[in-house]
Amino acid sequence: MKNLDAAGSNSLLEVADLEVSFASSAGIATVVQGISFTVARNETVGIVGESGSGKSMTSLAIMGLLPPKAKTTGSIKLHGEEILGASERHMRKLRGNRMAMVFQDPLSSLNPYYTVGMQIAEAYKAHRGGSMRAAKLVAVDAMGRVGISDPQRRVDSYPHQFSGGMRQRIMIAMAMCCEPDLLIADEPTTALDVTVQAQILELMSQLQNESGTGMLFITHDLAVVSQVSQRVLVMNKGKVVESGTTEDVFSTPQDPYTQALLDAIPRIDDPIRALKKVEMGMVSEA
Amino acid sequence: MSMLPVGLMAETGEVTAEEGGGTGPNRGRSTTLRRVTTAMLASPAAMLSALFIVLIVLVAIAAPLLVKLSGWDPFQYDDTAINADLGGLPNLPWGGVSAEHWFGVEPQSGRDVFARIVYGARVSLSIAFSAAAITTVVGVVLGMLAGFLGGWVDQVISRIMDFLMAFPSLIFMIALLSALPAGNRPVLLVVVLCIFGWPYTARVIRGQTMSLAQREFVEAAQASGASKSAIVFKEILPNLTGTIIVLVTLAVPSYIGTEAALSFLGVGVVPPTPSWGQMIATAVPWYATDPMFFFVPGLFLFLTVLSFTVFGDHLSRAIDTGETSK
Amino acid sequence: MITYLVRRLLAAAGVLVLVALLTYWIFFALSPDPAVMICGKTCTPDRIDQIRATLGVDQPFMTQFFTFLGGIFMGRTYGSGEGAIECAAPCLGFSFQTNQSVLDMIAERMPVSITIAVGAAILWLLIGVSAGVISAVKQGSWWDKAAMMVALSGISLPNYFIALVLQYVLVVELQILPFPSTPAFGEDPLFWFQSYIMPWSILAFGYASLYARLTRANMIDTLGENFVRTARAKGLSSMLVLRRHALRPSLTPIVTMFGMDFAGLLGGALITETVFGLNGVGKMTSDAISKNDQPVIMGVTLMAALFVIVGNIIVDVLYTTLDPRVRTKVA
Repeated sequence: MKNLDAAGSNSLLEVADLEVSFASSAGIATVVQGISFTVARNETVGIVGESGSGKSMTSLAIMGLLPPKAKTTGSIKLHGEEILGASERHMRKLRGNRMAMVFQDPLSSLNPYYTVGMQIAEAYKAHRGGSMRAAKLVAVDAMGRVGISDPQRRVDSYPHQFSGGMRQRIMIAMAMCCEPDLLIADEPTTALDVTVQAQILELMSQLQNESGTGMLFITHDLAVVSQVSQRVLVMNKGKVVESGTTEDVFSTPQDPYTQALLDAIPRIDDPIRALKKVEMGMVSEA
Repeated sequence: MSMLPVGLMAETGEVTAEEGGGTGPNRGRSTTLRRVTTAMLASPAAMLSALFIVLIVLVAIAAPLLVKLSGWDPFQYDDTAINADLGGLPNLPWGGVSAEHWFGVEPQSGRDVFARIVYGARVSLSIAFSAAAITTVVGVVLGMLAGFLGGWVDQVISRIMDFLMAFPSLIFMIALLSALPAGNRPVLLVVVLCIFGWPYTARVIRGQTMSLAQREFVEAAQASGASKSAIVFKEILPNLTGTIIVLVTLAVPSYIGTEAALSFLGVGVVPPTPSWGQMIATAVPWYATDPMFFFVPGLFLFLTVLSFTVFGDHLSRAIDTGETSK
Repeated sequence: MITYLVRRLLAAAGVLVLVALLTYWIFFALSPDPAVMICGKTCTPDRIDQIRATLGVDQPFMTQFFTFLGGIFMGRTYGSGEGAIECAAPCLGFSFQTNQSVLDMIAERMPVSITIAVGAAILWLLIGVSAGVISAVKQGSWWDKAAMMVALSGISLPNYFIALVLQYVLVVELQILPFPSTPAFGEDPLFWFQSYIMPWSILAFGYASLYARLTRANMIDTLGENFVRTARAKGLSSMLVLRRHALRPSLTPIVTMFGMDFAGLLGGALITETVFGLNGVGKMTSDAISKNDQPVIMGVTLMAALFVIVGNIIVDVLYTTLDPRVRTKVA
């Protein structure tokens, strides 16, 4: 495996030998098996893999949101500061502030009982303080920036009154309202229609250009990852099987699993070729 | 409370997912069974309650035999065991417990409490089991019909369910039972329990049928031209097995409790036929002077209802997650 | 919203008429002749006919039923001439055994039933919901296990049984409480409280157990929701996540259940009142049943149905303010 420490010491995020395991009555299931990578400022790193490859567990481990029974070892550094094993109190100051996350399904990720404005505002207020009213103004502004028209009025609407794409925009507004250094996007476009997907991806890269946020983009979709990320890691069964610049990985894949994944994409220039089956590699995720 | 509607409602509220983790029509059936069995065997609480259930069922079945062993039938008076001068209190302390009368005797009549408990189990359990069987069949059929066919069928069935569930059912059951001619009380009790009991089964089944009907394997069966009844009985019903078993296990204690309450209030099983609730009612005037007489039927009622509830709880959890410790 | 309410109220009225018809039919078809019962042992055929005419039971079923319904809106007169009995609207019937209108009988006993219901409701909501929340948050702890064990006994123990055990221990043996009764609050508030505390606790125990189990289950479900993860990812304190994001979705279904349970109790806590001999609507009903006083049973059934149906509507309307998704649908 090639080392990804190209960015060197000015990395925003450094993950080294990260291992996540769950103990159950059936034994210990290790869902992430010693992976290492870095993310620099203004850079997007993609993690590709199928469900159960450990990619979502990696993102939750960075945020410190794994369930208590998960055992995590290795090292996760944000701005050179070790955050793996940091106190919950300290992690809370980082979450939503220095690092934020956008999830796969925006409908279930938003609380149906509160207005979207309130949900964005409380993220801002948690870290910047001030009154709820002031935070609400920030929410209106954030909604405008993610391309929601008439934000003054929509700020008091509930999640179910928005379309899927709009909900994801709200999630992004919520994640970006404290201008985090690192944004983790876990399958942010998977639940959306193709046309909406493109809009959301464009929005994300536009926001990244404005703020210089480093981004960890997790997806099973190779087409998406090739669009957004400069570097990519391919994960299978909890391990990184291949990594490098997106261009290298896509043009000259080294690992058979990556080759199989790439072969599975239907191509316009090769319409007759039958789809190949990817060997399923499932890790028993307890 | 031990009243049927509230009790059953809360219990069934916890029954959410169907068995097998939703993989498909019949895939993993035997492994699911094994997983659930293993989980149940591993839980002392589940095993203890299972043991008690088996014991009480055996007692109910073998009642005539047990009574021969103990030597007193439930209707037989024993004047020698009670003291007429003390208002008919048992001669011996602890409610007259002795080698002769294992659980003591009834004040005033001297009837054997053990025999009445054993025969009471027979009455209580047969009423509860019959009601559970009937409400399950009716509830499953109507629930599946409403959930699968939708449209006006669903409208009609759902409105009837709403109507019955929004009913002050305890008062109505009492009113109904008091208005009905004496006749065969246990049968009447079963009928009344069924009228108000089936919607609780049907509601859960309806919801699950609706979500199952949208799943791929049902769509596949539809696309391949399977008839509606074939889909309902071959595709949907097998996937409801887990839920149905849990619903039955939790319906039984709620019916035992309701029957006991109705008998306690004097509109259920009438003397001389014994039932636990009615025995408690008989013991009320004696609770201070002969606590044992009051305590024994209450204890059996409590343990039986508790065992079924604990067993049902664990079963529902084992089917849901494969673990009994949640 | 208004059209929704009107529709619901019309439907409720329909259901009530249906309940009345059903109850009336059951008594009409199944019960022994009330005239014979009132007439007693020294009875002549003439006298029976006379009573029948007074009661109106010589009329065909539908006529009787509509007379009954009419009585609710316009009042009615039993018999004619000298012995005629006036029953003003809303006339829920007249008990010839107590020589009182059913409505008066209910009104007289309602305060006791309300006192019992309100006191118990406060207890079971406070104890049941908080025990359930703590159990869910500390899932698997000794507290959770103990609380769920108590709750399990609570739903398995017949309340008439524990009522008498408790009365035996606290009143007869230890003598720390008086026998439950229904004194007025004003005269001696402490005695009032002591007299009611046992009925409240017994009634609340079963419900609290149920609510604790349900709250715990709902809460555990909600804590696994994606939006709770989002709330944590925002960096909210765990207290805020719990209070703002987990509690509200967990408790909304409890509100529905509470509305129905409470409405049901206003029709009388039948078992509790009977066991403790408290003279509320429930005790009156059970007395009426044992004396086969049909007009009373009929009236109480209808009134209880009214409470439950109105409770149902109130809960549904409340739901529209509690759950924004329902609000949008209704508006």
